[in-house]
Amino acid sequence: MNEKELKKTLTVVGAVLMVLLCLFPFIWMLVISFTKDATFLGSPYVHFEFTVNNYRTVLGDPTLHFLDYFRNSMVIATLVTIVTVSVSALGAYAVSRIRFRGRLAVPIFVLGLSMFPQISLVGYLFKFIERLGWINTYKALFFPYVAWTMPLALWILLSYFTQLPKDLDEAALIDGASRFQALYKVVLPLSAPALFSTALLVFIAAFNEFMFALLFTTDHRARTVPVGIALFQGVHGEVPWGNIMAASAISTIPLVVLALVFQKYIVSGLTAGALKGE
Amino acid sequence: MGRIEYREEKLAYGMLSPMLAFVVLFIIIPVLGTFWISLHRDVTFIPGFKFVGLRNYVTVLEKPEFWHSFFVTVAFSVVSVSLETILGLVFALILNEEIKGRGILRAVVLIPWAVPTIISARTWQLMYNYSYGLFNWIFSHLGLGTVNWFGTPISAFFAVVFADVWKTTPFMTLLLLAGLQAIPKDAYEAAIIDGATMFQRFWHITLPLLRPVLIVAVTLRTIDALRVFDIIYVLTGGGPGGATTSVSLLAFNYYNLGDYGVGSAISILTFLTVLSFTIVYLKIGKFQEGLK
Repeated sequence: MNEKELKKTLTVVGAVLMVLLCLFPFIWMLVISFTKDATFLGSPYVHFEFTVNNYRTVLGDPTLHFLDYFRNSMVIATLVTIVTVSVSALGAYAVSRIRFRGRLAVPIFVLGLSMFPQISLVGYLFKFIERLGWINTYKALFFPYVAWTMPLALWILLSYFTQLPKDLDEAALIDGASRFQALYKVVLPLSAPALFSTALLVFIAAFNEFMFALLFTTDHRARTVPVGIALFQGVHGEVPWGNIMAASAISTIPLVVLALVFQKYIVSGLTAGALKGE
Repeated sequence: MGRIEYREEKLAYGMLSPMLAFVVLFIIIPVLGTFWISLHRDVTFIPGFKFVGLRNYVTVLEKPEFWHSFFVTVAFSVVSVSLETILGLVFALILNEEIKGRGILRAVVLIPWAVPTIISARTWQLMYNYSYGLFNWIFSHLGLGTVNWFGTPISAFFAVVFADVWKTTPFMTLLLLAGLQAIPKDAYEAAIIDGATMFQRFWHITLPLLRPVLIVAVTLRTIDALRVFDIIYVLTGGGPGGATTSVSLLAFNYYNLGDYGVGSAISILTFLTVLSFTIVYLKIGKFQEGLK
């Protein structure tokens, strides 16, 4: 076996193992979501009996509140995405186009913020939100999420805006456009791919956030999917794994589809956000 | 400073102000506020909010459970980041090869990243389940006996690590793949002519050229791993007997007990640990170069 063949064999074997490793938990989730729960506790025992009842229960039983959680997550993540992307675009435009004192400090400062541990905020944030009377409302998650997703959004947009030739908006400025018009009419339309990848990443981050959601919500009126699924327990001490996995599959599949369809945008956003300095 | 420039500067601050308002109100002030609380006795069932200076910090630093969770967090970060770096590098090398179905492979690698952390933790919890988990089911069919994953400190620790590695390897893979793709093809030409084997080429050319990206990726992931909370909260709840309690989870437990002073002190100590890594990351990342 020469080196070329060896390399090819290693690559193919590696690729097969890689696919297996990446997929097996996801597949197991789907399998169990369509399986009737094993009701007796014995030695290792998986009893495969096909059923769609788990999905029926999760979507149809109002006492589980899964649809409420799902709606809360969708509404909050959507609002956060719109606001974060708009506000970050303004900030990124200012940093990339206008000379002002402290210009170079802004991105570093914001990037530093993104690395704060969440736990270092919650001690005070909980009391603050409680005092405002926001506990268990969308506001309790909306505001912290916008602040929390801002650094990532600013970075991706900033790295894109700095690559965009400045002559384009300068031409518009000479023609008498204001800075805002230059941003809306020239820079933003040209930045559609970056805006889209930022929106995707912000949406996914907001949809997945756990610690704030766990602390700042108390019931189905504001609780999000991750908290609902984390706290999902059986009534009689028996964990309803089938239901949990069905709820997990319903929540995960849209995200996986997003990731697969818009792979290019996600990859460019993730690498731009992290490897800016390379 | 001309008038135009002065007007422009004001405009820039105006454009930045909404962003800064969010960040100041919901990140900066909360951190300072948490630090403020950490200097006080603030316990739900003891009336009064009393200034005690650094006493909470002394209390925390004298607690064996704090040092234990600190050790657990560092060990978790080291083991988890090492494993995902090795795995991520292997995946990136595979994806960098010209093989059929490369597009599909890249999509598949992204899937673990797209599964929400909590859902991934729940799924792994089920797979580790003693009676009807996938792993024990496979082990028993192979005649290997069964493992009580959450029963011993070591197995619970690795249970958490594996679940975390599965979730975070895609991100590592993407960063390293971006690094590999930036290596020019002609870097290898001389080595191929000299008859270097593929392992020699990897060791003497690929790795040194990938080093800057590797350092950035490892630092970034270490910062993330030191903050670990979600996956542990769901998977083991920090057990058995605190064996998988990270510093974030320990602080969280004190908040739950109503001891805000001690919880805040642990939170601020976590913050300072992570901050030191953040400063390193910002220093090595050369983040201002593109702007000048």
